[in-house]
Parts: sequence; structure tokens; C-alpha cells
Amino acid sequence: MATADPIPDLTAPSARPSDGLLVLLAAMTPEQLEVVLVNLAAAFPAEGLLVASPDAILADSYPSLRIVAAPATHAAWTLTASDFINAYQLAEKNEARGLLMLGSESGSFGAPVLHGLANAVLNPPTDLAVPCYDLPPHAGLVNSAILYPLTRALFASRARYPLAPDLGLSLRMAERLARAAQRFTAISQGEAPLWPVNEATIAGFSIDQFDVGPRLQPQPAGPDLNTIFPLVTGALFSDIDAKAAFWQRFRPLPPASEPMPMPQQLPRDAAAEIAPMLQAFRLAYTNLQEIWSLVLPPHSLLGLKRLAATDGAAFCMSDSLWARIVYDFLLAHRLRTINRGHLLGALIPLYLAWVASHINLTAAGASTEGHIEAVAAAFEAEKTYLVSRWRWPDRFNP
Amino acid sequence: MPNVLATMLLPDPNQASQPLYDDNASIWHHMSEALHESLYRVLSVLIAILPGILAFIVALIVLTLIGMAVSGLLRRGLTLAKFDEHLARGRGNADWAPTTSPSALIARASFWACVLLGLIIGVSAFDASYATAATLTNSLLPYLTRVVGAVLLLIAGTLFARFLARSVLIEAVNAHIAYARFLSLGIKWLVVVLTAAMVFDHLQIGGHVVELAFGILFGGIVLTLALAVGLGSRDLVSRSLESHAEHSSELSVAPPTTPATGPGDSIRHF
Repeated sequence: MATADPIPDLTAPSARPSDGLLVLLAAMTPEQLEVVLVNLAAAFPAEGLLVASPDAILADSYPSLRIVAAPATHAAWTLTASDFINAYQLAEKNEARGLLMLGSESGSFGAPVLHGLANAVLNPPTDLAVPCYDLPPHAGLVNSAILYPLTRALFASRARYPLAPDLGLSLRMAERLARAAQRFTAISQGEAPLWPVNEATIAGFSIDQFDVGPRLQPQPAGPDLNTIFPLVTGALFSDIDAKAAFWQRFRPLPPASEPMPMPQQLPRDAAAEIAPMLQAFRLAYTNLQEIWSLVLPPHSLLGLKRLAATDGAAFCMSDSLWARIVYDFLLAHRLRTINRGHLLGALIPLYLAWVASHINLTAAGASTEGHIEAVAAAFEAEKTYLVSRWRWPDRFNP
Repeated sequence: MPNVLATMLLPDPNQASQPLYDDNASIWHHMSEALHESLYRVLSVLIAILPGILAFIVALIVLTLIGMAVSGLLRRGLTLAKFDEHLARGRGNADWAPTTSPSALIARASFWACVLLGLIIGVSAFDASYATAATLTNSLLPYLTRVVGAVLLLIAGTLFARFLARSVLIEAVNAHIAYARFLSLGIKWLVVVLTAAMVFDHLQIGGHVVELAFGILFGGIVLTLALAVGLGSRDLVSRSLESHAEHSSELSVAPPTTPATGPGDSIRHF
């Protein structure tokens, strides 16, 4: 798998890259939709690009685009199971060879980005084109803390945003994802997130990552972390559980690409930012000991005890401790040690402690991306611990 | 004079001594007869129910053994058929997640179903053989079923109390409520008291006294919690209302994106 390929400047594409391409847009506001359509029309002029949107569009305004109606979907912050089924059905119906799925607020993608993603999925061997965003330092923290390190350690993929709202899919990748999505829609869970990177890795499909620059990430409709966090982590844990036979084998990680130039970080008042998180962690430490002790081994509990006694400025959770905590929760999720809703709820204060530690480190001068890579490396180093406990869970009971 | 008195006090050998001896003998005789009859009755009843008890024990043992065999077979068959993996694949991210695997759950359920069947058959055999002792059958057996119902109620109530207490504790901690443990304990005792009252009511113990005591205790706990939450969460409620009002006004007036205004605003979890 190649990673983080810079988007080539394709001002004059050699062939018509839009032949057989279907662009599926998410539900978005009219202003956002207009920007995206203008960008698409500019990227693929006079090529009759097929665009499907659930929103009403005046076709006369964009003569270079062939606009078709897509099934109405909820304006979601990420791609869901129903989106993948709709995408594959539309692709089959219109005989498309490749799909470009663009989430809401994707107006920042210029012509080179759109061309690059389209070229990737229309030309073999790439089956899945994932974007790599240039986000602000403290954005997408759940991704940085859990989703990216787990995906990298277990599925040997450097896809920096495994739950990206934009994707490029080959037809066979779209078919595979639609088949996976049907399991969720069959039980009325069409809004469940899917994990395209994991599916592509299992299927042996080729994954390419593209730097797409800055993007305003769509946020969940409700601001409640307590609702969204268990939903996302629970979905990933279930997917990992279902694919256990695959990731227990060692697979080499593809070589890292050139790191993206990171935006310069402004001096921040870390103490004020992390104060509520530390308060939440300490409150949880005094109240959730009983639940944590069912999941975590004594060594991790001791680490948390020391952490709870640490002052704000010196607050720093070690990467290995965080990796083991996540792995222990993953195991408890698999073993159903306690109710899964309770389990994932009890992980939230620990995640907030990691966020506080991450902010402290970056405020002290550490590179944001460097710390996230270090966390991912710690997950890789601790994978043997996960595999041994996964295979022989009775050897150790907290 | 002393001779006269002595003569008067002397019992008449023909009248007094014989009836006294006869009465004592009669009492002992009656007591003995009563005891013998009672013992006979009890032994008769025991002999009458002995086959029933034996039938109950045999039915229970046989059905338990059958249950163990069925459970073992089911567990092995489902494991071979990879039932858990198929179900996990088909179920997706279901919220309902038991603590044991589905195949173990089915095997265990089949075992307990057999045990329950054995109990029903045993009780039925016991009932049939014990039909002669009508008074005990009419009072003891229905009460036994009530006791079983009460035990089930107690188990369900305790489990529900524990589940609810843990849910409240985690939610309250994540909502940054300082008295989360107190709230969780309050909820737990509320459910435990409710369960206890239901159990006593089911067993018909205490009558109105239990109802009255339950009403007072339940009301007391609710009032305590209401005062604690009401007084302790004033800031939380006002903050929540303020943010709701601000959100509503933003939706109606302001553009969808607002600049960061304070610490923590630049932090985006997703």
C-alpha cells in the first residue's frame, strides 16, 4: 500500500478521467452543494461527469455534469452502512467503474484533489482511495487516540483517517462494502459506521492515501461525546472482533511517506483547556474504580492512580499505558466482562485523560503529529499483549 | 376428740381409693391413645407422601441428567456449526450484549429448562400422590409456588438494581456530577426497596404494614434524591438551559459556524 501520495497537478489530464466515474454527494446545505458542484464542473469540464445527490439541483446550471437523484439520506458526519448500499446500487445502475463519495462540507477540495481521487479508483490497482486531511492540531482526537492507532497496529494500514467522510472506491470495493453493509441494514442498523480500510485489508485490495489539504470536518449533529464515542468505538471493537482471525497474524506495516507540513501551532493556555478534562478524570477515578478494576490489570490501575495524583502541568499519560488500556477495553468488549454500554461509557474519562495529556505535551513543544505517531507505535509494540490475552483470556483475570 | 377427727379423716376403703386410681389410668390411657393415633396419622401421611417425594427426587435427577446431556450436545453442535460467529456477523453492533456467548447461553437455557420441567413433573407427581391430605395440599403447594415466584422477583429486582445503579453511576460521572455515587446508591436502594415490597406482597407477609412502610421509605428516598439533585444540580440545570437557549438563538439568527470563544472550543473530538 502506498501512503500519502501527494496529489499530482493534473491541469491537462491525458484521458477523460471521468469516464465511468460516479460522484455521490452526501446531503448538504444548498451553499455547500453549490461550491462542491462548481468545483466538480471545474475539475471535469465538458466531460459529462455523473453526479448523484439526494438534494434537488438545477441541472441547467451545470451543463458539464449529468445529475441524477440519489436516495435521501440523513445528513451524517460520516459514511454509514446505508450510504454504501446506495452507492453500489447507483454505480451498478449507471454502469460506473469507480465511485467518489464526498461528504458534507467537502467544498474545500479543488480540481487536483478531485482528479487525483478519480484517477486512483478508475485505474488499477487502487481499490480504495482514502484522503489524508490537514486538520487543526486538536481536531479529530478520537481518531488520533483510538481509531488510527488501532487500525494501524491491527490491520497494518497507515490510513490516517479510517473513518473519513470522503472516499474513492473501485466497483469491486463498493460491492464488498455494500455486502458488508447489508448485514447492518438487515437488522435496521443502517446508520452504523463501516470500516472500509479494514474491509479492503481483509479482501487484499489495494489502498492508496492522498494528501487533500485542509478540510472542515463535519461534526455529529449532537454535541454529546457520551453518545457518539460509544457508538464509534463500539463499532470498531465489533469489527475487530469479527476479523480476529486476520489481524492475529503478523503483517509488516508499509513504509511511511513524507510527513505532511503541519500548521504552526500558536501558544496555547493548556492549563485552562485541560482543567475540565482532568476534573472529569479525577471524578471518574474516585467513582469508577469498581468498574475499571473489572477490566484493567493492577499495573494499569496503579498507573491511573499515579496519574490521578499528578498536577495539571505535569499530567502525562504514557503511550504504553494508553495502548494497554484500549487493548484491555477491547478484550473486555469481546469477553463481555460487563455490559458493553457500561464498558464504553467507562472508557470516556480515560480518553479525556489521554486528550489532556496530549494537549499538555503539544503545549510543551512536542509535535502533534509526532505524538500521534508515537501513540500508534506504542499500539504496535503492545500488540503481542493483546494477541496473547485474546487467545488465552483465562491466563489473567483482573 | 382426736380419735373422732382421725376417724372422720380416714378414707372409706370401699368408696374413695378405687375411683382415684381409675381416673389416673384413664388419663394416661387417653393420652397414650391420642399420641398413638397422632403418630399413626403422621406416619400414614408420611407413608402416603413417600412415593410422591421419591417420584419428585427421581424426576428431578433424571431431568437434570437429561438437561446436562442436551446442554452438552447443544454446546458442541453450536460450536461445530460456528453459531456464535454467524450470529455476530449477522447481528452487527447490537446494543444488547449478554455476558456469555450465545451458544453458551442457549446450552445453559436448555439445561435449566430441563431442570424446570423436572421440577414441574416432580411437583405434579407429588401432588397426585398427596391428594389424600387435602388440607396441606390446599395450603402448602400454592404457597410454595408463591415462594418460587418471590425468589424469581428478588433475583430479577437485584439484577435490575445493579444494572441501573451502574448505568446511573457512569452517566453521572460522564455528566461531571460530583455526587454520582450517592445518586447511584439512591437509585439502587430505590429499586431494592421496591423489590422487597413486591416480594413481601407476593408472599402475603405483613399486609398493610409493609405497604405503609414501603410508601414511607420509597417517598423518603425519592424526596432525599429530589432535594439532593435539585439543590446540587442548580448550576448544571441552569447551564444546560442557557446553552439550549443559546443554541436555539444561534439556529434562528447566526450563521452555522461560530468562532472559538474560549478554552476548549478549539478541541474537536471528531
